[in-house]
Amino acid sequence: MKEAYWEDTMHSILKTSLAAFVAAGVTASTAVADGHALSGEFKIISDMSNPAPRAVMEGLVEDFGALHPGLDIELTIVDREAWKTQIRNALGANPPDVVNWYAANRMRPYVDAGLFADISDLWAEPEFEALASTKGAMTLDDKQWGVPYTYYQWGVYYRKDIFDQYGLSEPTTWEEEVANCQTLLDNGVKCYTIGTKFLWTAGGWFDYINSRTNGYDFHIALARGEIEWTDDRVRQTFANWRQLIDMGAFIDDHQTYSWQEALPFMLNGEAASYLMGNFAVAAMRDGGLTDEQLDFYQFPVINPDVDYAEDAPTDTFHIASGAQNVDAAKEFLRFVTSADVQTEINGGDALGQLPVNANASIDADKFLEQGFEMLSGNAGGGIMQFFDRDFDAEMASVGMEGLQEFMVFPDNLDDILARLEETRQRIYN
Amino acid sequence: MFPTPIEKRPRSAQITYQAFLPVALILWLLPLLAVALFSIKPDADFTNGNYWGVPSSFEAFTNYGKVFFESNMPRYLLNSLFITIPTVIGAVALSCMAGFALGVYKFKGNLLIFFIFIAGNFVPFQILMVPVRDLTVSMNLYDTKLGLVLFHVAFQTGFCTLFMRNFIRALPFPLIEAARVEGVAEWRIFLYVVLPLMKPALAALAVLIFTFIWNDYFWAVVLTQGPDAQPVTAGITEFNSQFRAAYHLMSAGSIVAALPPVAMFFLMQKHFIAGLTLGAVK
Repeated sequence: MKEAYWEDTMHSILKTSLAAFVAAGVTASTAVADGHALSGEFKIISDMSNPAPRAVMEGLVEDFGALHPGLDIELTIVDREAWKTQIRNALGANPPDVVNWYAANRMRPYVDAGLFADISDLWAEPEFEALASTKGAMTLDDKQWGVPYTYYQWGVYYRKDIFDQYGLSEPTTWEEEVANCQTLLDNGVKCYTIGTKFLWTAGGWFDYINSRTNGYDFHIALARGEIEWTDDRVRQTFANWRQLIDMGAFIDDHQTYSWQEALPFMLNGEAASYLMGNFAVAAMRDGGLTDEQLDFYQFPVINPDVDYAEDAPTDTFHIASGAQNVDAAKEFLRFVTSADVQTEINGGDALGQLPVNANASIDADKFLEQGFEMLSGNAGGGIMQFFDRDFDAEMASVGMEGLQEFMVFPDNLDDILARLEETRQRIYN
Repeated sequence: MFPTPIEKRPRSAQITYQAFLPVALILWLLPLLAVALFSIKPDADFTNGNYWGVPSSFEAFTNYGKVFFESNMPRYLLNSLFITIPTVIGAVALSCMAGFALGVYKFKGNLLIFFIFIAGNFVPFQILMVPVRDLTVSMNLYDTKLGLVLFHVAFQTGFCTLFMRNFIRALPFPLIEAARVEGVAEWRIFLYVVLPLMKPALAALAVLIFTFIWNDYFWAVVLTQGPDAQPVTAGITEFNSQFRAAYHLMSAGSIVAALPPVAMFFLMQKHFIAGLTLGAVK
């Protein structure tokens, strides 16, 4: 099976380079000329340690090595969780050339410490225009610090059969969303399942309601600690959210479930929809839902004056500021962001997620197709990285506790906001 | 005699006993039974909320097949063996010698050294976490099987020495004196006189240490990462992917991981119980 994978990969690489020659002879030949010039040691540390991503990473290195035979590539794969604590040490002492990490505020500590290299020059190249959707997420202090290789969409996954049964259609505005929900509740079906035991799921709801109420720029400013939690605009977000809570739209006792443990409510029809990332689809299909029963819609508009912003957590590659082989590192970043490579690594038999490159193609899967279309064409506000990646780590952990508490005891809102504001002042000032 | 044997109690007490014993047993075993049940369920049962009911399909072969053929479990099991067996040999060998010295020879500081061995047992091992981790990193032993083995040997030797010393103390001393009178060298006395007499203690200790080390999770997580060195207790979490916990595979993996110590226990039951009480009374 592995051999077949290599063969496939090599085959498609061959095909794509041929196509590139024919289609754009000039760029292709410069790329190849560059390639022959690359030599020396090239060290990569990756956190793609789960079986499928691991195969993808090893395949990437194999293919890149085949293009640049002069390079001596050393790939180290570190456990994904362990990497979160090791990265600082790895970048500081004896740094590799390229590492994996995450977009947005998660880059902040390493950018501030001067451990990531500024790669704004790469982003100025015309090929990088195809990655525009995440440019904001890769930018700190007006410079770009890494490149994305994969992301996945968030949105509302719903039971189409239940919607059809009660004559509902996909809502595009908040009023429709609330009206749909009322119909469902009148028929004894909860509108949303959610499991907030591990807190982060509530972060998704906040991201969406806040960005739809106040816009992407406001949301990111709040994440950066530039806006008070007690601000009236933040209160408006919570007021909108409370509308749903007071209706009883969410399943009961959600604070006792993990996101997986909340799935049965959707599968057995007690709840009609789930605001979740695209990884939930595989679980729902495993649970027996067919593509006729399951569908997806973009979170509806609340404030018509602000553009759609979407949660799409992005995984990235970065060049260490202490990199020894910068030329090879940059070439590798060009390689992983190219449309063909992104198509390849995000396929259903590989990562099964979305390519960031707008020229890449995706597997025939209705959720991937809808997500790709949404993120590449209908997320004009910007791409959020999710609550716990956009906000400072400590702010996020206190924040998500507050969000969970709000969902269970909405009357505590004043207390919660005061507490979050106190935390914000301690962390950001 | 206290407690009164159940056969000698009134009939009513016997009936209550017989009625409650199975209940208590089932309650006690419930978590294990649940894991065993989970290990034969398909993934779909968990997404559907069918945690406790009849499995919707019988997936024992698929799940255990995946554990053995499509994961790193065999690798982790092998690691566990490579960590546990050297540790057992190392700790038992060292403590035999230390116990012999402390139990047979009279020298200044004998008691003090013995107390130091005992005191080591009273150090809560959690407080050693950071220093031991730093030590293994600076010795280049971090994330290696050797690092785990060395630490376990060092840490277990304290308890083993206490155990061995007390056992050797209980041996009839005239045997050793007789050998000395015959002019037998001290190391031959150890090898040919004392060691054969220690067989029950050796067996008991080996079984005990085997289960301790096999079931160790704490140090496995602190000192190793990844399939190159991690033992099975820590490796089981590998079944969790980035987003989802694979309860069925983790359960099957746990059952497999628990088998060696359980088998060890049943095979060596006699020694195990002896091991718990040996050395307790001198």
